[in-house]
Amino acid sequence: MQFKDQLDFIKQHMKRNKLRVATTILAAMMGCAFLIILASVGFGMQQTVTDQVLDNQIVTEIEVAGREDGDSITDQEVEAMHQIAHVKAVTDRTSPNADAVAKIGDRSGFVAAATVDMEQEQKAGLKLSEGKMPSSANEVIIGYHFAQNLLTEEERKKVDDGEEVSGGFAGSLIGQTFQLELTPYEGETEAGVWEFTVAGIKEEPGKDWISDNTLLIDDSWAPVFQEELALEESGRQVLVYADDLQNVADITQTLKDKGYYVYSVTEELGSMNMFFTALKAGLIVVGTVAVLIASIGIFNTMTMAVTERTREIGVMKAIGAKPKLIQKLFLMESAAIGIIGTVLAVLVSYGVSILANWLVPKIIMSSLGEDGEGMGDVSILISVIPWQLVVISAIISIGVAMISGWRPARKATQIDVIQALRQEL
Amino acid sequence: MIEIQNLRHTFAIGKKEHERKVPVLKGVTLDVQKGEIVAILGKSGSGKSTLLHILAGFMTPESGSVLVNTKETAKMKEEEKADFRLANFGFIFQNFQLMPGLTAFENVELPLKIKGETVKKRQAKVRALLEKVGLQDVADHYPNELSGGQQQRVSIARALVTDPPILLADEPTGSLDSETEQDILMLIQSLNQSLGLTFVIITHDDEVANVAHRQYRLHDGELVKGEKRHAI
Repeated sequence: MQFKDQLDFIKQHMKRNKLRVATTILAAMMGCAFLIILASVGFGMQQTVTDQVLDNQIVTEIEVAGREDGDSITDQEVEAMHQIAHVKAVTDRTSPNADAVAKIGDRSGFVAAATVDMEQEQKAGLKLSEGKMPSSANEVIIGYHFAQNLLTEEERKKVDDGEEVSGGFAGSLIGQTFQLELTPYEGETEAGVWEFTVAGIKEEPGKDWISDNTLLIDDSWAPVFQEELALEESGRQVLVYADDLQNVADITQTLKDKGYYVYSVTEELGSMNMFFTALKAGLIVVGTVAVLIASIGIFNTMTMAVTERTREIGVMKAIGAKPKLIQKLFLMESAAIGIIGTVLAVLVSYGVSILANWLVPKIIMSSLGEDGEGMGDVSILISVIPWQLVVISAIISIGVAMISGWRPARKATQIDVIQALRQEL
Repeated sequence: MIEIQNLRHTFAIGKKEHERKVPVLKGVTLDVQKGEIVAILGKSGSGKSTLLHILAGFMTPESGSVLVNTKETAKMKEEEKADFRLANFGFIFQNFQLMPGLTAFENVELPLKIKGETVKKRQAKVRALLEKVGLQDVADHYPNELSGGQQQRVSIARALVTDPPILLADEPTGSLDSETEQDILMLIQSLNQSLGLTFVIITHDDEVANVAHRQYRLHDGELVKGEKRHAI
């Protein structure tokens, strides 16, 4: 029998028992949709948490916090990090052990000064909202809120009294020269003052609550500060940047093997993923129970179909249909129920998922107050249906439908032709 | 064409502990020539249907052999039997055995679908056959919209559609009135003469048996040769 004829054959039979087939499809659909929606909540939770983790940091960034043996990281070691495969950049920020105050006219403010390798910073993805990268050692990059923190004495007093002040330095700082006063935390050495010119301003931080007061100075100044202020060993922050997220895990492992304390997004996501994988597997297992319950309906429908069609099966066998063909036709019918049920389930699940993602956050927001205070800028995904979930659910649902149709199909092949032909019409 | 040798078969009747063996066929031997119509007469329960079922491969005999076109059918596997039936036999049943959900055309087409023929070939063949049995005008009718005679003609067309050399008929006119019976018997004779088809007809009706070239009577599980009615 040609495949098209087989399809026509089962289509004809399904049409003849429309109501029964439709209710069975409905049961299969509900089982599969339940499985998808339930598991999608696990995927949604993972997505929400992952987004939060990734949102708070640059995903390709690997922080080298120090050496396991307690020694400081040396320049040679930083240099060696450049040689690791798939490392795009290594930024090495050294903060002098001193209070740093920037002064321009009658305004001044504390800044987070650090000496950096400008070229590596740029490679690592340093972005400017204004200006350009420094072209000489006297030029610097400042943080987005640098100007805002430059206050007059009067304004500072108001801030200390808890009053709000607006402004800071008005106008653009690009091209402006300011004084940097460094006062060592310890020791007797007097403060040193240097002049720098602002070349660029960093872009605004992603989060509202971050105030960026950094001052990035060319690293040729590091030994100058060290020497003139007789500073203790300065704080060093080494960040390694991978060329792609998929290489972060390998680079992290390489650095660990070399004896560094390392932290990267993969470390955090790794343990998180393990938890969510277990959660999703659990939800899929629970959802599969619904599919199994629906399969009882398919089993009943197919058993009744075989019983009702005993005479027809007998005739088909009598006129030359092989038992394998009979079995195939019934298996195809149960598979068709499974496939139609699954397709409808996928559509329904996407609908429910979209609705849940739109409605539930609104309910949460309203329960937290008018403006959703307490949520910050957290975006919640209640349900996410990736294609992998659709594939897994389809395999489970169609597989279970075929398994439940297998026994009736087998029964059909074993029908005795003589007994079948004796049945009354 | 058909050689049946010393065919024996026994049915077990009753519950297992009180089982009783009833011999139905006691060494039946029969030879059917190509193009011959052979009628097997017998009362109800004489074993004539059992003989036809064994010949068709619907059941396996206890002993003996059935050779159709020199092939032993009794020892074939189910799948082989199905293929063999499709290629060698056409069936005409007493109660027609048409598919209620299929039209006359689709019922006749069914064996060709099972065989895997293309739509084009199928349609030409089915149309020609429906014309041959005089049913071209009711091709789109469902079985319950046809008279008994028309249904049996559909059944005959279905039996012929795969061009089988042998037609097995089990009480072909058993559900028909005498007028329609004559039409069907004439159709069988005409098909035998025009296409040279071999017929094995199981019947209890002497009138039906009269169309046969040879008649046999099954009595107490034994085949008794009847008179030779006429030459092929």
